[in-house]
Amino acid sequence: MMKKFENFVHAILESKSKKTLVILLTILALLGSVAMIPLKIVKAKMLPGKSDNTYSVYVTTPTGSSIEQTYKVSKCVVEQLKKEPQVLNMEIYAGMGIPLDYAGLVKGSGMKNSENVAEIAVNLTDKHEREETSYMMVHRLRPVVKKACEGLVPGTTIQFVEQPAGPPTLASIVVEVTGHNLKRDRKLAVEVANILSKTPKVVDVDIMMDDIYKKFDLIPDKEKIARSGLTVDQVNKIIYLAFEGMAVAHKNSANEPDQIQIFEVLDPKTKLFPNKSKEALMTKLNELNLMNRKGMMVPVSEVVQVKEVDSKPGIMQKDLHRMINVTAETDEESQVYPLLEARQKMIDYFRKKGWKVEKEPGMSTYMFDLHLIDPKTGEKFLLRWDGEMKVTLDTFRDLGGAFIGALILIFLLLVIYYKNYSLPTIILIGSFLSIIGVIVGHWVADLVTRDTFFLTATSLIGFIALMGISSRNSLLLIDFAKSLMEAKGMPKRRAIAVSSATRAKPIMLTAIAIILGSALLASDPIFGGLGVALISGTVAAVFVSLIFVPVLLDNSKGMDLDDDNPLHHDPSDISITR
Amino acid sequence: MISYKPKDIAGKLALGFLKNPLTSVLGISLLLLGFISLQVMPREEDPQIAISGGAVIAPMPGATPREIENVIVNPLERKLREIKGIKHIYGIAMHDVGIVNVVYKIGERREDANLKLYDKVMQNMDNLPKGVMQPLVKPFDIDIDIPILTFAFYPLEGQKADYEKLFPIARRLQQRINAVHNVAKTTLVGAHKPQFNVEVDLGKLTAYNLSMGQIMKAIQSIAVDVPNVKGRTKDKKLLIFGVKNAIDTVDDVKNIIVAQYMGSPIYLRDVARVERGIDFQNFKTAYVGFKKAKTPEEAAKEKLSPIKQQITLTVSKLAGTNAVFVANDVLKVMEEYRDQLRKQGFGYIVTRNYGKRANDAVNELVDHLLITIAIIAIMLVFALGFKEAIIVTLTVPAILAVTLFIAWISGQTINRITLFAFLLALGLLVDAAIIVIENIHRHLHSHDVDERSMEEILVEATDEIGAPTNVATLAIIMTMIPMLFVGGMMGSFMKPIPLNVPVALVASLVVAYIFTPYLSLKLLKKPEHKHHHGKHAGQEGVK
Repeated sequence: MMKKFENFVHAILESKSKKTLVILLTILALLGSVAMIPLKIVKAKMLPGKSDNTYSVYVTTPTGSSIEQTYKVSKCVVEQLKKEPQVLNMEIYAGMGIPLDYAGLVKGSGMKNSENVAEIAVNLTDKHEREETSYMMVHRLRPVVKKACEGLVPGTTIQFVEQPAGPPTLASIVVEVTGHNLKRDRKLAVEVANILSKTPKVVDVDIMMDDIYKKFDLIPDKEKIARSGLTVDQVNKIIYLAFEGMAVAHKNSANEPDQIQIFEVLDPKTKLFPNKSKEALMTKLNELNLMNRKGMMVPVSEVVQVKEVDSKPGIMQKDLHRMINVTAETDEESQVYPLLEARQKMIDYFRKKGWKVEKEPGMSTYMFDLHLIDPKTGEKFLLRWDGEMKVTLDTFRDLGGAFIGALILIFLLLVIYYKNYSLPTIILIGSFLSIIGVIVGHWVADLVTRDTFFLTATSLIGFIALMGISSRNSLLLIDFAKSLMEAKGMPKRRAIAVSSATRAKPIMLTAIAIILGSALLASDPIFGGLGVALISGTVAAVFVSLIFVPVLLDNSKGMDLDDDNPLHHDPSDISITR
Repeated sequence: MISYKPKDIAGKLALGFLKNPLTSVLGISLLLLGFISLQVMPREEDPQIAISGGAVIAPMPGATPREIENVIVNPLERKLREIKGIKHIYGIAMHDVGIVNVVYKIGERREDANLKLYDKVMQNMDNLPKGVMQPLVKPFDIDIDIPILTFAFYPLEGQKADYEKLFPIARRLQQRINAVHNVAKTTLVGAHKPQFNVEVDLGKLTAYNLSMGQIMKAIQSIAVDVPNVKGRTKDKKLLIFGVKNAIDTVDDVKNIIVAQYMGSPIYLRDVARVERGIDFQNFKTAYVGFKKAKTPEEAAKEKLSPIKQQITLTVSKLAGTNAVFVANDVLKVMEEYRDQLRKQGFGYIVTRNYGKRANDAVNELVDHLLITIAIIAIMLVFALGFKEAIIVTLTVPAILAVTLFIAWISGQTINRITLFAFLLALGLLVDAAIIVIENIHRHLHSHDVDERSMEEILVEATDEIGAPTNVATLAIIMTMIPMLFVGGMMGSFMKPIPLNVPVALVASLVVAYIFTPYLSLKLLKKPEHKHHHGKHAGQEGVK
């Protein structure tokens, strides 16, 4: 067996055409596997979904909705989810966020404090004892719940929020519409949201801005107020006291854990408005009296005017620029592909509408940003992609940097060890080739699993670790071949072939150890990428070190005997590799 | 006895420990340290990511968003830009209030970050516009803000839902829970406090010719607290007296005289409905629906209970403490109160338990780790032989124990990523031991074996492979180093990998050099037939 393999390698080394064939095949495999990424055969994502024992549902009714309306929608969601056999319990938190969790941390759940929001925590049975993963469940239920409940209060958005597998982000897709013209910002945000909701696999599109609703402004008539012996402050205070109520006094008690407030307000029955109109408001204000300095009663309606106006929405800024966030989630998909699709649609759409659309120049983690310029007014707007996309790009950039750093460190280490440049280069090329295995491995994993198997940040970590493993293989191989040449005076090609054949066993052994060690890793949703990268990358690394590296070694002058090299004068080095 | 002079650290270690009686003690204590670390180290599901930041909240009643933007948000943002290390500033201008959120770069020390923010706001208090109330600085604190446990208190079936009673009960329980060791912050979510509600009838108000303001003044004039008054007696003693708060029960509120009408008093009860109730103006309410089932099969059969109002008690732990221990302690205390609660007509369910989640995640991975070690051991039996496989397998727990112990004393927690780092390292760290044992094996089967002592062979065999194994391991460590510098949240999230894998690899070298020859001396014997060498495949290649 050993002899056969030795002869096989030797035969390759002896024939120039076979050597060219090995190199060509390797290059072909490299190009083929790398091409799988742009061709979307292997898809990239930062971290895959994680099955959990809980998820949340965020309900947002339009700004200005009452808590009763919000509760009605939440109740509907609960009624829908109630039918699920795997639900253990559900909590509705109306008017606030659920007790903070990692997802809520960045989604501003802790800041929620208004009548138009509610969050529902859904706790499921243990993930190990249930067949359906939480993300599959969300995928299945999302359309059902939305269809049943979003219509109850028009303009409601219902979002399903899963626990993040890694660091939490605001949303999978976030478009920051930045510009200093508030009105046009709002219009652009709506257009962006429309494009996103028309993109396949994009769900839960939400514009993070207050809706504009009708409200009534009471305008105090200063002159009348002064002449009636009242003050503006008094008018404001009494109106607030009557309809909102105020804690006018408090009482401490030994038997109560908290202070007891004395809360004054109009009787809910008597303060009820018959409908939402100016007249109804005026009638009610007519009944409410104020007492002036002389002790005479003045109806509130006498001293104020009522005007129907639009509400003034809140303003968001990021880094000193006015901005509106449009957020969306992806359904069982990496955010990368729908995002690129939506981006292309946006470019086409805004160009058609007469905007000048410019792409962000250069390579950065903001490289997908779009600049919109109105040719008439010269006003500039920016559509910036944030959220998971930004984190993904940042992470892949940093891990890419770490990868290059690892390459340089290994190269330097090897240059110090071998005292030349050609051998370290060969080792690095050899270890880089394990990428073939990594990508093909992901493709195979994707074929055999039910969900999409993404190339993730953990796959990249696996790839970086592989660099070290395969360079070690090559290192021991070269060391052994060199000592064979020196100690036994073997010819170069024979030495390489022998070394390749004898190193085969320990290389295989450590490879099997790594493969077995990573086997359980591969079944984990998050670290599956790392496991698959290690398993398939190690397989590729074995072939590369035993066949491809010998071919390169044969062509390298660095392998030729060199008397200046002090490393190989100890014959006992032979035993190193055994 | 041993004439061989080791050249490499590998041989020196092997020589030093080979005949040392303390080697076995060292081995056992390593394993023990590892085991203790595994039990005691704080467990969590995901590693902590140090996010620092805070919010500055400046209320200005009556201002519109545009006004707030101009007067509060913009100037505040400009000032906060002066702070070093800030990643993003978010300004929110709403009705009546301006909020500026600050997010620091990952890795900024929380204490420094909070101090810088507070400092900057305080330095500029003189620039505060008129009408703006004192700004609040609220730093984020993930440890304290994210509860590890939540409980929902609900009225039991068939009981009248008296939420007014539930609040004091939950509040007292909160006090008990907060006293548990290492519990940091507890809150009651969706709680409605008792209060005296005075609901004024608009029609009666008109009829009696009264205004809301009059009623307010009438209540305020009665509900006053006065501190104790000290008087002195003739013989220089203190005589202490105080005025009791006139309002004790809700009836006292009812009987407040609001005005005189035609000579007869008008009581508050005449114009308003006065009762002891809950703070209904607080719209934040929590509800719960649940099943009693524990397993999926039971859960599938059971129907969800009707949705009821509830109060949620949240419990968070102090930073760096073990979530598993804290959760268990709290659950124990809660269990003590279950009967008492039932008597009062209330029950509770656990709606979140991160302690259990962390424990499950860690235990699952520890199981994976053990299975993987077993699989590798079986593989080694086939590849190396039974005794050799045992030697290599025994080094694995020792290596993991050392790594775990170092992780513990360097202040790390045990979480999923730490254990993934171990799984990743597992395939790599048997290598050193395999290389040593292979070389020992080869030496034991070489032809001059009879002339030399077992000890000498072991030391020499270990020493020989020292240099190249060190370089090869160094190469793998090199790949991990740059990962330490990956920034952002993902970098912090993954940090346990570059922190622990190199440690495990170094430990694997040291353990391989110390314990492989030591165990070989105990377990392996020189072969009887001196020319027996067929066992080791690949031998022919060299010959």
